[in-house]
Amino acid sequence: MLLLRKFKIFGHSMEPAVKYGDFVLVSSIPYCFFSPKERDIIAFNYKGKVLIKRIARIQNEEFYLEGDNRNDSLDSRSFGKVKKSDILGKVIYK
Amino acid sequence: MFKSIAKLLPTGTAFAHCDIPCGIYDPYVAQRAAHTVIRMTQLLTDLKREDETKSEHDVARLTHVKEDHSNLLEEELDTLRNDYFKEEHYKEYANLHELFVKTLKSSAKARQGIDMEAAQSALSGVQEIAEIFFKTKGVEPVRVKTVYPTGGEIVLHK
Repeated sequence: MLLLRKFKIFGHSMEPAVKYGDFVLVSSIPYCFFSPKERDIIAFNYKGKVLIKRIARIQNEEFYLEGDNRNDSLDSRSFGKVKKSDILGKVIYK
Repeated sequence: MFKSIAKLLPTGTAFAHCDIPCGIYDPYVAQRAAHTVIRMTQLLTDLKREDETKSEHDVARLTHVKEDHSNLLEEELDTLRNDYFKEEHYKEYANLHELFVKTLKSSAKARQGIDMEAAQSALSGVQEIAEIFFKTKGVEPVRVKTVYPTGGEIVLHK
C-alpha cells in the first residue's frame, strides 16, 4: 500500500496547479478514512505508469479524471473512467 | 514538515500526460539544442575579457542561453524516453536506456560548467538516440553535415 511517496512530474496537463518538474507527495492514508472526492488531485495507475489528474466527476463509484490544462491533457476524455482500485493516493503536498 | 519528509523519500515519476496522444515526436529539437550548448560553450571559451563590464554581460547572456538549451535538451529527451519509446524498443535496443542516462548526465555536466567534452558527448548521445528513433519508425537514418558554426552533423532520415 502506498502510504507516502514522492513523485517528480513529467508533462504539462496539470498546469497551472502542478507544473512540469514539480515534486509532489502522494498518500493513500486520506482514502483509508474518506472516499476520494471531486476536485482532489490523485495519482493512479494507467498502463503500468503512474499518472496524476484531478477528479472531475464521480459516477457509480468510478472516477472521471481531467487535467487542469484541458486543452493539452490525456485523461478520462480519452481513456474513460478509473476504478478506485487503480488510485494510488491523494496529492497532499506540492 | 512536508518539505523535510519529502527530502527523505525516494522519487518516483508521475506523468501529467499532455499527449492526446498526438504521436508527433521528433529528435530534431534535441539535436539543435545540443548544438546550441556546444556553440555557447565555444563562445564562452573564446570570450575576450578586455572590457570587464561588457565581458560580464556577455558571460551572463551566453550562460543563460546554454542553461536554457540544456534544459530544453533534457526535456526533449524525457519526452522521447517516457512517452515515445516503449518496452519493446528498450528490448530491441538493449543500450537505449543506458544511452539516455549517459546523454542526460552529459547535458547536466555541460550545463554546470564550460565543458566542451560534456557538450560533445551530449550531442553524440542524442545523435545515437535519433538514429534508433528513426529505425523504430521504419526509415533509414542519415547523418547530414550541418551549416551551423559548430560544424558537426545532425541525424535526419531518408
